[in-house]
Amino acid sequence: MSNNKKYWKGVEELNDSPAFQKVKSQEFNEYLPAEDFLGDEGLLENSSTSRRDFLKYLGFGVTAASLAACEAPVNKVIPHVIKGDKTNPGVANYFATNYSDGFDYCDIVVKTREGRPIKIEGNKKSPLTNGAINSRVNSSVLSLYDEKRYRAPQMEGVSTSWSKFNSTVKKQLTEVIAKGGKVRILTNTITSPSTKKLVSEFVAANPAADIKHVSYDAVSASGMLEANKESFGVAALPTYDLSKAKSIVSIGADFMNSFPSSLELTSQYAKGRKPENGWMSKHFQFEASLSLSGSNADVRMPMKPSEYGKTVVAIYNYLNGNKSGAAPKVKMAAEHLMANKGASVVLCGSNDKNIQNVVVAINQMLGNYGKTININKPSFQRQGMDADVAGLVKELKGGSVDVLIIDGANPVYNMPADMDFKGAMSKAKTSIVFASRPNETSAEAKMVGAAAHYLESWNDANAVAGHYSLTQPSISPLFDTKQLQDCLISWMGLDGTYYDYIKATWSEVAFPMQSKSLLFEDFWNTTLEAGFFIGNSTVAASASFTDNSSSAVSAISKIKSSDLEIEFYSKVGIGNGNQSHNPWLQELPDPISKITWDNYIAMNPVEARAEGFATEYGEQKDADTINITINGVTYENVPVVAQPGQAPGTVSVAIGYGQAIGKSNEVIGFNAFSAMKGMKNYSTDVSMEAAGQKYQIATTQTHQTVMGRTSVVRETTLDVFQTGVKDDFNPAHMLATHEGPMNINDVDLWAAHPVATAGHHWGMSIDLNSCIGCGSCVTSCNSENNVPVVGKDEVRRSREMHWMRIDRYFSSTPDSLETRSYGEMEQPEDNPQVVHQPMMCQHCNHAPCETVCPVAATTHSNEGLNQMTYNRCIGTRYCANNCPYKVRRFNWFNYLGYDKFADLNPSQDDLGRMVLNPDVTVRARGVMEKCSLCVQRIQTGKLDAKKESRPVMDGDIETACSSACPTSAITFGDYNDKSSRVLAASQSNRAYRVIEEVGTQSNIYYQTKVRNVESNIA
Amino acid sequence: MNVISFKKPANLFLGLFSFLLAFSVSTTSLQAQEDGEKLFKSYCASCHSPGANQLVGPGLAGVYDKYEKEWLYKWIKNSGALIASGDDQAVAVYEQYAKVAMPAQPVTDVQIDAILEYVKAYKPPVADVVVQDGPVAVEDEGMSSYTIVGIVVLFLILIILLRKVQYIFTAAKARDSGEEMPEETTLTQALGITVSQNKTIFALLGIVCLCLFAKGGWDSAFGVGVFQGYEPEQPIKFSHELHAGTNGIDCNYCHNSASYSKSAGIPSPNLCMNCHTYIQEGPQYGKEEISKIYTALDFDPVTKTYGPNQKPIKWVKVHNLPDHVYFNHSQHVTVGKIACQKCHGPVETYTVGKQYAELTMGWCINCHRETKVQMADNGYYDEIHERLPEELKKQYLEDGTITVSELGGIECGKCHY
Repeated sequence: MSNNKKYWKGVEELNDSPAFQKVKSQEFNEYLPAEDFLGDEGLLENSSTSRRDFLKYLGFGVTAASLAACEAPVNKVIPHVIKGDKTNPGVANYFATNYSDGFDYCDIVVKTREGRPIKIEGNKKSPLTNGAINSRVNSSVLSLYDEKRYRAPQMEGVSTSWSKFNSTVKKQLTEVIAKGGKVRILTNTITSPSTKKLVSEFVAANPAADIKHVSYDAVSASGMLEANKESFGVAALPTYDLSKAKSIVSIGADFMNSFPSSLELTSQYAKGRKPENGWMSKHFQFEASLSLSGSNADVRMPMKPSEYGKTVVAIYNYLNGNKSGAAPKVKMAAEHLMANKGASVVLCGSNDKNIQNVVVAINQMLGNYGKTININKPSFQRQGMDADVAGLVKELKGGSVDVLIIDGANPVYNMPADMDFKGAMSKAKTSIVFASRPNETSAEAKMVGAAAHYLESWNDANAVAGHYSLTQPSISPLFDTKQLQDCLISWMGLDGTYYDYIKATWSEVAFPMQSKSLLFEDFWNTTLEAGFFIGNSTVAASASFTDNSSSAVSAISKIKSSDLEIEFYSKVGIGNGNQSHNPWLQELPDPISKITWDNYIAMNPVEARAEGFATEYGEQKDADTINITINGVTYENVPVVAQPGQAPGTVSVAIGYGQAIGKSNEVIGFNAFSAMKGMKNYSTDVSMEAAGQKYQIATTQTHQTVMGRTSVVRETTLDVFQTGVKDDFNPAHMLATHEGPMNINDVDLWAAHPVATAGHHWGMSIDLNSCIGCGSCVTSCNSENNVPVVGKDEVRRSREMHWMRIDRYFSSTPDSLETRSYGEMEQPEDNPQVVHQPMMCQHCNHAPCETVCPVAATTHSNEGLNQMTYNRCIGTRYCANNCPYKVRRFNWFNYLGYDKFADLNPSQDDLGRMVLNPDVTVRARGVMEKCSLCVQRIQTGKLDAKKESRPVMDGDIETACSSACPTSAITFGDYNDKSSRVLAASQSNRAYRVIEEVGTQSNIYYQTKVRNVESNIA
Repeated sequence: MNVISFKKPANLFLGLFSFLLAFSVSTTSLQAQEDGEKLFKSYCASCHSPGANQLVGPGLAGVYDKYEKEWLYKWIKNSGALIASGDDQAVAVYEQYAKVAMPAQPVTDVQIDAILEYVKAYKPPVADVVVQDGPVAVEDEGMSSYTIVGIVVLFLILIILLRKVQYIFTAAKARDSGEEMPEETTLTQALGITVSQNKTIFALLGIVCLCLFAKGGWDSAFGVGVFQGYEPEQPIKFSHELHAGTNGIDCNYCHNSASYSKSAGIPSPNLCMNCHTYIQEGPQYGKEEISKIYTALDFDPVTKTYGPNQKPIKWVKVHNLPDHVYFNHSQHVTVGKIACQKCHGPVETYTVGKQYAELTMGWCINCHRETKVQMADNGYYDEIHERLPEELKKQYLEDGTITVSELGGIECGKCHY
């Protein structure tokens, strides 16, 4: 075997500490005090509840329960008064629209049932996002049903009517305009052509006044925009094609998560990671904190964020022939780039114009423009210029702004403290904020427009040149809400609604770009159905290239490093904090740290240990706290977490936290935006000291261990894979028998499953090489299967209810582990390799859970599914104990009614309940649950086929996870369909089944991970 | 009272009349009648009944005698033109039916002849006529519990009186013979004596009582949550008997989503208005019940306009499946080709909607065991059948049919997820 690495899920497992030893053999982390109580005779005798009392209560309880059960409630059934043509109870409708919040752009399809949006999926037909979707987008449906949304516009904190609101604003605007006053509109990045046209018409209609629109991105890409403006004369971002790139070098760019156009990049990236194609891209990552992209890199080098510039310059110099002084991994990257000219991409996450200028120069030198990078087809997904924003704040502070209108942005929350936006805003004579729920900015506004959710709104978008899309509502506004655009139309005294305005814009702009439809209505309806329209790129950059690299290089040489630096990063779930009130996203474990419901200071484990901070976290193992001062902003008592892969001499912190959520307004984490001085995503001005307190951390990290079985994850290197000898990288499990070694699949205690070859045989294949660990599948599963949110406290007790988890294993080479002393073993923590493994019910044909259920609540179907029948389950939990994959979840509580969960569980109020999928049972307390392989979708797919009198086609049925995967790592299908992709995948060289040696005959295959590194240095 | 009857003698008369007419039609026109039926259903049935009752337009029974054929051709093809031409008859009809013009129909003279043949031959459902002559069946409700309690109390009083009388006689007898007066035993003492004298009988009796009690308890426990026969009062006294029975409206007309959706759906009031725009009075409750639809839609029956104050009708749900059961109507109606009546009973005879079947799991499973899968002409099942290994094909087809359960229809995961 070429690969016998050791895998460890956390520092605890690597160290094999006594505490870990104790916990790993237990199912439950917590200590159960039954013995203490029952063993103490004195306590029992003095107990106020006698056995007789107990029996009385029991008898009474049983009787009361049976009597109560006899009464049937009278249910009402209320049909529509006037039913729409296509709104049929029990039938789902799908609407193509898009998600565009200035941070993420995604073409989506919204599933509605009985008129309620319940699920968001990627639009598979979109050539831009290719059906890719992430957790933030697919969880956004829950924000629609947020109980705290504004239900009417507010004036001076009091609810009012729109007519009053609009007339007041109109009156003020008229006065201000008449005297030639200043009006400023501050929004997040807007790509909507109609909105832009409307705003420019507003400006043009009032030449007397000084009206300006400023775009603002909390996570700014200003540096890139400026660099492109200087180099190509266009202040936009280029579009990339990573699927053609053989060499990908990222310096601090988390292009799978927070980098602009991350969804497009992720889906392209996966296409270049298929070893069966004969080639695979090689991914180098240079970064401080272990990011999602870094965890998937072939070669990763931890470094301080202040060194990003120097690394870029080192690559630049290397390409220019100045090869001295480059670090080995930098050299490796530069040489790989040179070998793949025109088929490589260099990305950098820095917000420094100079660094980005050098990156442009490198890509230009490599001849990547026109091949893997296209500046002539720019992307408009980040437009905020830091200088413009700073200018606006200055104007505000000067008190010269009469009317400030804010939409889609929350600057009081996410602007750095030194800009003091709150103080600046108070100087505007009138401030009008459009927000969907109360936030920090709307709290400071004199007037608040109750903004409609994007699923209730009409809009359009132009994320990338030539890609025009329509946003259409999939539900009527739930409350008395409006969009800014509709109000602007009314303030300007124009006729019609924003919907009419969009139509007019499209008939002028997009309709002439095509010739397929002769009538506009026809074109409009076709586009509305598809969700997007591919027109010609209207913006073309000048072909000429201005090289600014030499001045930039000298500017970069002045960047100073310090002994302790901090990097600000976006988490996969929370992103820039737009949706930090969304409990699905808060409970999504971070792909790297597996921590939920918090942000924290991440530190290198070696350094953490040296400082005496706890490096292991669990129900009874809390994190230590520190006081940290960043750029003069002090955070007291914040937790510090040991994070393998964190560059020495650096710490990192996630932005987007520190907002109040839930009915009790509990603040989750702390707001790191305040310390982002100058909107720079790192700082060298950091000092910290131990605060000496403990902080509870809810992590899923060391739960559900793999019991030391190393047959769970398989990986190899590209050169070994390319030899084609399966035994070298994916050997079959052999069992020693009296007849000699036999393949595990030929040895069986049980009879083969009777109908494995008849009817359907559902199964799944998961490609570990494509899986990037983003967790989109997890949130998609939550929303499809009504998975309850349990909250931080229950996650700490290992009682999270997710049907699907992504196991993250760190790995290091075996010799380094076995020949080293304990102290030396820590070194892999500096820069471990990472494997992400989605894990859910494996639907074993010989399922260990099925044989131990005393009431046959879990049984096998003749279609290969391991069925879970909730109404039969009595909650013995034998099945969970007997499951080798630890994928079964027990309902410890009534999550729908118990007060403890009222604050966070969306299904506890009438509004939140609307998001539930009516085809899936909401499970009660005391029953087991687990992945059903989306049996409701299978049944629907079969029924559709029956009604249309045709066989089920491969790809007809997608599970929630497979459809949500941005890299198509998950394939679902029917093994009995000879042409199915899943059958082919299960027979491939890389296919293996997890813990196959116990003979579970699972129906989920995994594909061995292949790293593009030399086998001898892995 | 689930008895079909004509509520008005006029209807009875018309029914009998058309019944008799049916016999006078010569058999040579059978083919024309068949074509006519199809044509009638596609062109006329949405507004006219082939009988005498009025739907949107008048019933067509007798129309062939009342008017000239040529006039009918003109009227049907373009009534508006005929009215405009000032034809007396046409104007009279127009006035008579509240000036609602009949839309022009794209039919030929030959087709009109066929339709008229069909209308001539049409006879309303015979059962309607026969049943009303018979005695009205009264449902035997059995003895009420009050009666039983009353009888038991009377019985006890009788026992006490008899014992008193017996004691008086015994005491009198003793006094006469000069013996010592016997002590009067209490009821409990007497019972004790009786029991001790007949131990075996009472022991057996006790066992029998216990068994009966256990059986009763067992049966009633099985009945918990079973609401067979549930017949709640509805906000509108809607009668399936009248709509589906007498008027023969297809179930799918109102519950159309049964054929493609999970739920059969309760029709929305706008669907009711397809007919009730014009039918403003019912045979039993007059305008009272129908006006509730108008209230829901804020519809003014005189001006035939809709107002803004619409409010939904809150029906009482009759069939309540537990939340953990997935049931899909279209699977059963469209794919399984099961008639509605199989589960819902003879709905066309219900005056009040009720739960016909038990709706228990045993009831579902039994049907899945017995019902044949409708495999013919379904591409899905062709493929599934193709995939069956030979031995299974043989095993399944032993009894000549493949049942739902043989294709996995009684597995938990088919209904519970």
